[in-house]
Amino acid sequence: MKSRFLSLAAGLAASAALIPGSLVAPAVHAEDSFYKKAAQPYTGTTIRVLDEITPLQETLAKIVPEFEKETGIKVEYELLNHFEVINKGQADMLSGRGFYDAVMLHNFQLGPMLSAEAILPIDKLVADPKLSNPDLNTADFIQQPYKTAAFTNGKQYSFINWNYNQVYWTRADLIGNEAEKTAFKAKYGYDLAPAKTIEQMRDIAEFFTRKKGEKLAGETLQSDFYGIVLEGIKGGSTFPALWNNFMKNYGGDIIDAKGKPIFDSPENVAALKMWAELWKFAPPGIAEYSLVDVPTVMGNGIAAQSIAWSDFVLGIDKPGVSPLAGKFVYGPVPAKAGREGQRHAEAEPSVTVITEASRNPEATFIFLQWLTDRKQQDKLIEMGKGGVPIRESAWALDAIKSNPNPSLFAAMQSTLEVATAKPKMPKFYELYDALSGVAQEVGLGRISPEDGARKGQAEMLKICEECLL
Amino acid sequence: MTSVTHAGSPEIATVRKPHSGRTWYPYLLIAPSMLTLVVVSLIPFIYAIYLSFHEAKFGRVKDFIWFENYGALLSDPRFWNSIGTAVTFVAIAVPIEFMLGLAGAMVLNQNVKGRSILIPLLFMPAMMAPIVVGLLWKIMLAGSWGFISFNVFERFGLLQETSIFASPDLALYALIFVDIWQWTPFMMLAFFAGLQALPLAPYRAAAVDGAGPFQIFFHLTLPMMTPLLAVIGLLRFIDAFKVFDTIYILTGGGPGTSTETPSILANKMTFEFWNIGEASALAVLVWIAFFIFCNVFYQVAKKRLNAF
Repeated sequence: MKSRFLSLAAGLAASAALIPGSLVAPAVHAEDSFYKKAAQPYTGTTIRVLDEITPLQETLAKIVPEFEKETGIKVEYELLNHFEVINKGQADMLSGRGFYDAVMLHNFQLGPMLSAEAILPIDKLVADPKLSNPDLNTADFIQQPYKTAAFTNGKQYSFINWNYNQVYWTRADLIGNEAEKTAFKAKYGYDLAPAKTIEQMRDIAEFFTRKKGEKLAGETLQSDFYGIVLEGIKGGSTFPALWNNFMKNYGGDIIDAKGKPIFDSPENVAALKMWAELWKFAPPGIAEYSLVDVPTVMGNGIAAQSIAWSDFVLGIDKPGVSPLAGKFVYGPVPAKAGREGQRHAEAEPSVTVITEASRNPEATFIFLQWLTDRKQQDKLIEMGKGGVPIRESAWALDAIKSNPNPSLFAAMQSTLEVATAKPKMPKFYELYDALSGVAQEVGLGRISPEDGARKGQAEMLKICEECLL
Repeated sequence: MTSVTHAGSPEIATVRKPHSGRTWYPYLLIAPSMLTLVVVSLIPFIYAIYLSFHEAKFGRVKDFIWFENYGALLSDPRFWNSIGTAVTFVAIAVPIEFMLGLAGAMVLNQNVKGRSILIPLLFMPAMMAPIVVGLLWKIMLAGSWGFISFNVFERFGLLQETSIFASPDLALYALIFVDIWQWTPFMMLAFFAGLQALPLAPYRAAAVDGAGPFQIFFHLTLPMMTPLLAVIGLLRFIDAFKVFDTIYILTGGGPGTSTETPSILANKMTFEFWNIGEASALAVLVWIAFFIFCNVFYQVAKKRLNAF
């Protein structure tokens, strides 16, 4: 019996030696041991990380304690709302106080923060074999947002943390209504379907704009109904949406490759014309609608279509939140007809950077790698029953593949294929404020698109003649 | 405690001596408030003056640049637009609040029924944090889904092409309305308290002389109330000029720059553009304007209105 046991044990040992290591000890364990080992000199250290509060980060906050357990590094993970995280985070970084070791930055913040030298480049940390996880697999990050957000002028400042992105959002119950489809085809000569081009989006907006008492999908309207709702507030992401979803799709931009303002280009004028046209089919309050109001209006069922942030959509298209939950359908941000091959879409790849004044850059660097590691990212998607992926491999996860809303994730993927971070402009805020005002004035019809383009160009030139970092 | 029997007694001398010897005593009493003022007001203000003469961007104080920040500000149409907006806001809101407040106080002073219930209710808008007031009116007047927008404007076909806060022509007046809603009850209660404190003898004398209600109001009530009216009016004027929270919540200074006051502009310059030097210059300029205005007002009120 004893000899049989010994021979069995020897056989198992021999088999184990022959089986590839990855099968015996999954990659996850190897990563675990890497972070544990790398963190040994920093055990007992406390790091403070500031992030934005959305359902995504609330889910992440549940995972963070696992890092503390694994490494012995304590993390104070503070979540604040969008505006507070910008103000408080920037104030701390610019003051050099170093209260936070890492701060989440939207990519538009990178220009001002880099020009103020408030962000620590991580090249040395990445090159340090004791700190850098060789299995992090950055090639799995969705490349364009990662490359354009994390790197500037040959230096790396971060990984990628949040791929906020916009998608096209419409009402399946209206778009699929037979009577509406027939009427649409009779009027426009093509089939009613979620808009693939900006021109189609305009036609759908016009078609569905109706007054109280008229019929909509067979029902008599109790109040006015609008063909489209867009963000129009001065601030928020009104101007970035106009810039990336309209101007760039029309072949325009606000600066050329050298950073010189080109706001008055014919392409931008054409985009501004379309922008102003769409406002005619939007609710009267469009100029006060923020990125929060747009999904609210869609959820309340008073508009036919929109372009909105997908993470906000996730919060609305839920049973119990909107009476229309499950009746929405999503698509890629529409492109300009004839320019589908050069399409653009607004996205906000956001990063968590180590502050220049951080007293614990090494421990923070280990944490930032751990956050973007595939294991944590997969868990984040699974726990959040979806989410906004930063890794290509995430599209294959069950939470996304089997999601009851497949068109939303297909739309997100489509946006992230073409998404880029905004150019790093030190005076982004001044430019943004000035151009937001122009966008609003054109939308409200206070000035013509041509005058808006001229005004925008003049405003830009007042702020910077070479606007890139 | 030493009792004082009559003037010139030795006991009085013993009482006065320690006081006259302790010249530091009054200073000791006001020291906590002075210290607080110095720490939270004077030092930051002096630092703001210092910053206004420097190139201070992104939290870093660089070169001394004399009056460059002031020059840039004074030649910026946006600064003058913000001053114009604030002046319009104050010029409409404060007189209406003042007149409605005074009229309401006169009514309250007439022993109206339910006054004991009405007075605490009147305090409510003034007790609300301005941020709550902003959110409340956003819910009321937001385009399309606001309670009033949906149930009144939309139902009666008003404002078809725009919403109140989305209209550069209407947004400022909506903000003025909100300010009047919030602060008129406060003015009313302050004036009511003043009316309650007026002596009755002159009114009895006027009644005996056969004075009418208008004569009593213009020749008795108004002159006796002038010091209080001047002080409350001045405080409300200063407060209205500085208004920030409700505008920040309701319009953020927009559409365009149609509701951008100096406070909103300074906040934008500081926390969005991080142009702290120019924002400090703005703060200093507004302070100088107020200092001059308040001094002139003080002198006039003291000499002509017998206030202060």
